Amino acid sequence: MSRIWTVAETEFLTLIRTKAFIIGIFLMPVLMGGFFLFMSYAERQIDTETRAFAVIDGTGVLYAPLAEAADAFNRASGEGGTLTGPLFEPQPVDVAGRSADDVKVELSDRVRRHELFAFVEIPADVLDAGADSPIRYYSENTSYERLPSWLRTTLNEAIAVQRFDRAGVDRALVSRLTARAPVSTFGLVERAADGSVSEAQEVDELTRFGVPFFFLLLMFMSVMTSGQHLLHAIIEEKMSKISEVLLGSITPFQLLAGKLLGVVGVSLVLSLVYFGGGIYVVASAGRLDLVHVPTLLWFLLFLVCAALMFGSIFVGLGSACSDLKDAQSMLQPAMILVMLAYLGSFLVIRAPDSPLSVGLSFFPTVTPFAMMLRLAMPPGPPLWQVVLSVAILLASTGLVVWAAGKVFRVGLLMQGKAPNLPELLRWIRA
Amino acid sequence: MHAIEIDGVRKQFDTVRAVDDLSLAVPAGSIYGFIGPNGSGKTTTIRMIMNIILPDAGRITVLGHRSTGAARDEVSYLPEERGLYKKMTVRRLLRYYGRLKGRSTAEIDPAIGEWLDRLALADWADRRIDQLSKGMAQKVQFISSVVSRPKLLILDEPFSGLDPVNAEALKDAVLEMRARGTTVVFSTHDMSTAERLCDRIFMIFRGRKVLDGSLDDIAAEYGQDTVRLRVQGGAAALSGLAGIESLNDHGNYQDVRLSIPPHAFLQALVARAEVRHFEVKRPSLHDIFVRIARPADHEPAAGSGLEAAS
Repeated sequence: MSRIWTVAETEFLTLIRTKAFIIGIFLMPVLMGGFFLFMSYAERQIDTETRAFAVIDGTGVLYAPLAEAADAFNRASGEGGTLTGPLFEPQPVDVAGRSADDVKVELSDRVRRHELFAFVEIPADVLDAGADSPIRYYSENTSYERLPSWLRTTLNEAIAVQRFDRAGVDRALVSRLTARAPVSTFGLVERAADGSVSEAQEVDELTRFGVPFFFLLLMFMSVMTSGQHLLHAIIEEKMSKISEVLLGSITPFQLLAGKLLGVVGVSLVLSLVYFGGGIYVVASAGRLDLVHVPTLLWFLLFLVCAALMFGSIFVGLGSACSDLKDAQSMLQPAMILVMLAYLGSFLVIRAPDSPLSVGLSFFPTVTPFAMMLRLAMPPGPPLWQVVLSVAILLASTGLVVWAAGKVFRVGLLMQGKAPNLPELLRWIRA
Repeated sequence: MHAIEIDGVRKQFDTVRAVDDLSLAVPAGSIYGFIGPNGSGKTTTIRMIMNIILPDAGRITVLGHRSTGAARDEVSYLPEERGLYKKMTVRRLLRYYGRLKGRSTAEIDPAIGEWLDRLALADWADRRIDQLSKGMAQKVQFISSVVSRPKLLILDEPFSGLDPVNAEALKDAVLEMRARGTTVVFSTHDMSTAERLCDRIFMIFRGRKVLDGSLDDIAAEYGQDTVRLRVQGGAAALSGLAGIESLNDHGNYQDVRLSIPPHAFLQALVARAEVRHFEVKRPSLHDIFVRIARPADHEPAAGSGLEAAS
């Protein structure tokens, strides 16, 4: 046992000293934090331009309400002080007997000269109920969405007002009658021991997607970091004949066990560091309710199984290769398993209770990811599914570790051509 | 007392019989040389001794233990070149290998210090392996195999690629290990090293043992059929003499391999020409190696050239 610890300790210390690990552990949160900061900064800062646009009003009655709405919008954007949004500046167009095409060509030229940002053409029959001629918005910058979407809302409100007036309907009554009833998402209500009914908790996006996503990323990061490391370490040991020295001192089983224990240790440390960071972040944001201890414990269990299973797969493959070039082709089946887990996770996140999600939770290499997601997303899977998936996962992890041990034993001393799949299976059966 | 006893061992890989019915006894405290061409079964034999692979048949006893790996902690193995983690420091690596032999850090640290001093590596203890020269790395490798004070030390080509100073230092270190009671087995292609250093030689060829014994035994077995002579008239004077199996003409003298006893040949020779020099030659290990391992279709002239070079 002490030899296994010696290997595990060395493996652990070697891995956490690698540049990739150190950079990964610090850089990832920095990058993620930086990304969010940039996004929120960009959202607030980016657009404070004045957008002048011409309006060809075929109806003759829509320009006035539009100009009024633009004034209100500009006040909300902070006109005259610090701007927090763009300013919209409508200009009426006097057609004065010219043809529609002449006017549009002239306006287009003005847009090209940057005197205008865009122009909009409102057809005369737009006020007729059931009219299907569209309002046309012309711009050089067709990907800019704020102006056309503001026009869409504002013009439609103004058109509705005109249409109701023409039909002799009381607008105030209509808007009262058609007011939308809001729908908010809540968790379930519980009756406490004293008989009082506890306040149902409102469920937000962060609970629904943020927390499960955090677990998913962390699990992938741990598995990929330790898997890659194991693969490279084994190939290095094989190429430089370290394996022979090691096998002269310890059994293949001790070596394998030590290596796996080492990476499980690294995965746990990595996760605990991130748990610490995550809890600190949500606590300082006053959202400690997002931290659910049983979920954290489940995570650690699934993490250990995932690290063992994927670690064994990478060790087995690594020991069957003689150099890194072999490894690339041998890696493909392992990467398919990882991709399957990755894609499966997205299916699960969309519909945690669908039969497909339930099925994926029982497929061993997907289980840690799928089940973790489902556990982190309220209301969580039924207990029997959790227990069954853990049982399947433990059994298959044992099987994979055993098979990897067999391949490891033969592969470590094998030089030259990498084996194909039938040969690998023969090693396992031997 | 034998450090290694191999009895009727056989090992087959797929269709290749790597080791066939091999028996060998390595006396404790000796330096034993394993020689043989590439692919003849040396590494397989060493791996079986190390218990890295198991024989198909026969038994191997190492330091009196038969059970799997029982002797492992008392045996050290140094593979040819390499065998070191490039990114580790010298000290960390030596500790790791020592601990894998079940020694505590407290036990091996003094040994590490002593050996680093002895092989002039003390200043490099905290450098990474990939900063060392090839010769230094080879010395570190040697140290890694001796810090656990093994009772049996197996070295694969320990001297290859070393400059004369380092080779000398390592040779002294091997002799020192024997003086401390360690049995040393090493495999080599360098016959002159084997001749200088080994008490006994074992040669394996195509999976079978072809030589085993002290240098004197081997020379006695192979050494009575070659004579070196100088006669009036040179090689021409020898033509037609009975008992010449092969002749290697060096100009001023000739090496002749005989199929009859040397004294009978000498009598016939004296009757024919004036003999200035006649010597029953002790063949070098190199000659014997080449004689055994030379492919059947090998040109005799090339073989003779090798003999002349030794």
